[in-house]
Amino acid sequence: MKIKPRALTRSIFLNLLVLILIVYIAGPFIWVISASFQGENELLKKPPSIIPKNPTTDNYRYVFTGQVPTSYEVTGQLRSRISQEARLIAPALKNSFIIAISVLLINLLFATPAAYAFARLRWKFRNGFYNFILGSRLMPAMAIAIPYYVIIQSLKLMNTHLSLILVHSALTIPFSIWFLTLYITNIPRDMEEAGLVDGCNYFQLLKNIVVPMILPGLVAASAFAFMTSYNEFLFARFLTTSIASQTGPVIISSISGNPDVSYSLISVCLTLGMIPPVILAITMRKWLTEGLSSTITFR
Amino acid sequence: MSAPLTIKEKLRRNPNWFTEGLYAYASVLPALLVIILFTIYPIFYAVRISFYQNILTKPNSHPFVGLKNFHDVITSYYFKNSLINTGIYTIASVTGVIIFGLIVALLLNTKIRSVNALKIIILLPWAIPAVVAGLMWKWILNSDFGILNGILYSLGAIESYIPFLANPILAKLSLIMAHIWKEGPLAAIFILAGLQLIPNEFYEAAKIDGGGDLLVFRFITLPLLRPILLVVLVYETMTAILTFDLVYVMTGGGPGDSTALISWFAYAEIYKFLNLGTGIALSIIIALITLILIILYMRALKTEDAIS
Repeated sequence: MKIKPRALTRSIFLNLLVLILIVYIAGPFIWVISASFQGENELLKKPPSIIPKNPTTDNYRYVFTGQVPTSYEVTGQLRSRISQEARLIAPALKNSFIIAISVLLINLLFATPAAYAFARLRWKFRNGFYNFILGSRLMPAMAIAIPYYVIIQSLKLMNTHLSLILVHSALTIPFSIWFLTLYITNIPRDMEEAGLVDGCNYFQLLKNIVVPMILPGLVAASAFAFMTSYNEFLFARFLTTSIASQTGPVIISSISGNPDVSYSLISVCLTLGMIPPVILAITMRKWLTEGLSSTITFR
Repeated sequence: MSAPLTIKEKLRRNPNWFTEGLYAYASVLPALLVIILFTIYPIFYAVRISFYQNILTKPNSHPFVGLKNFHDVITSYYFKNSLINTGIYTIASVTGVIIFGLIVALLLNTKIRSVNALKIIILLPWAIPAVVAGLMWKWILNSDFGILNGILYSLGAIESYIPFLANPILAKLSLIMAHIWKEGPLAAIFILAGLQLIPNEFYEAAKIDGGGDLLVFRFITLPLLRPILLVVLVYETMTAILTFDLVYVMTGGGPGDSTALISWFAYAEIYKFLNLGTGIALSIIIALITLILIILYMRALKTEDAIS
């Protein structure tokens, strides 16, 4: 079969467009990962090398063990460009993890029964409560940051994991309820009706019939809750004061605010910080995409 | 209006009426409590505090000042300027995000083989923290060691390194570009979901009628995407107006106040000028602006529903 010239130019144009988009989207990731394996002296060359010429894991070793990279000792001028603060990234990411996993569990525990009640049960204030819960998310974060600060302080929870777990749960539960309500509304009812006839109570219906049917939805909702909490910056910045509870984004922004810090070490922190969401986004791509799509196409 | 039903009547209509209701309230209660504590109470608290003087350097004096905080905000040196900045930023970045989303979604909807790679990576910018995204770009754009300057210089496109984040106009453009990078993917996923709802017959019919790509896009794709595009438009507008993390890590509002968006000043009032009263007053003004947008959004959606 002969390819028409017009079809060929069209194909070249479209492939080129795809290539440009791939470079734009993936470029920053590739560069920051590459930079994290370069010594500071190599990184500060003009122009820097995209692929490390002498790849080194020294930067990672420093962050995890405190062993100063050799490249810093060689070039006397750059010796001050190292920051102890970079070593906080590991405990900070651990805090992020503890908080995000707790938020995920609270979301599943609180949002699933609530979503079932909104999707299936008949009760008086159903629509009112539903709109209230959805409406609660429309408040801009900045406006409630100070009140949150005061609430957390009066609960004596400043600088604890629990403070962020509570706040992030309040931020994510409305979305989870909405998402799961849509999901449950869109699955067939017959099984539950059969269950009712068999004398199941509502909790048994939810646990034995509905939950297995909405598993993909639960996985997507968990991933959304985890990511929202893991990525959240403003409240974490307001409500934490030390490494006892500071999360990844807080530490990363504070490290980079230090004029003395090395770019290699920032790259290490950025790379480590983005590993969990990147793994989630790649491995659960199908579920996340379907979940996001359903929020806009389900009615 | 019918008379309120008696309990007996309710039970006759639905034998499970009482247990069903009870179970529903019990299911919703825990979630509701968390949300009330962290939504209703904070809103009342915020409104109350905005009527009092509350300066952190004067911890023991909180006189009632009425609307003075709001007046101070509106007449402040930055208010008009930051509103204009936020307006420009919002219009430019929302336009960019939607064009990016449309292009990516249209490509993902084709059968070109190279889009499979795009499919795998498209969610990545959306998935990572905005703080991480902002710092990645800040450093790529660095005027002394940035890789973008390095590449442009090696290619001979520039004679000397460009200080992207030190020039007011370039800094704005850089911020918008980083915003499109971060927010575009979500728009692309939403628009792709919309594209997949369009039945194939429409395209086939157009092909038989001999419509080219652009004509099909203009007269079939775009009109059928309208409802989805509207949701994306309003969602992205709200996101852009409330942008804070990116500004915080990328430019810190600078150079000068050229990238200081309205949310940045709400933060600055509280953290730099230590004035909770005006900070919250400004936050409430931002909240009202977004609220108006949300109402417009609900209305637009309702008319869309009525049409379809």
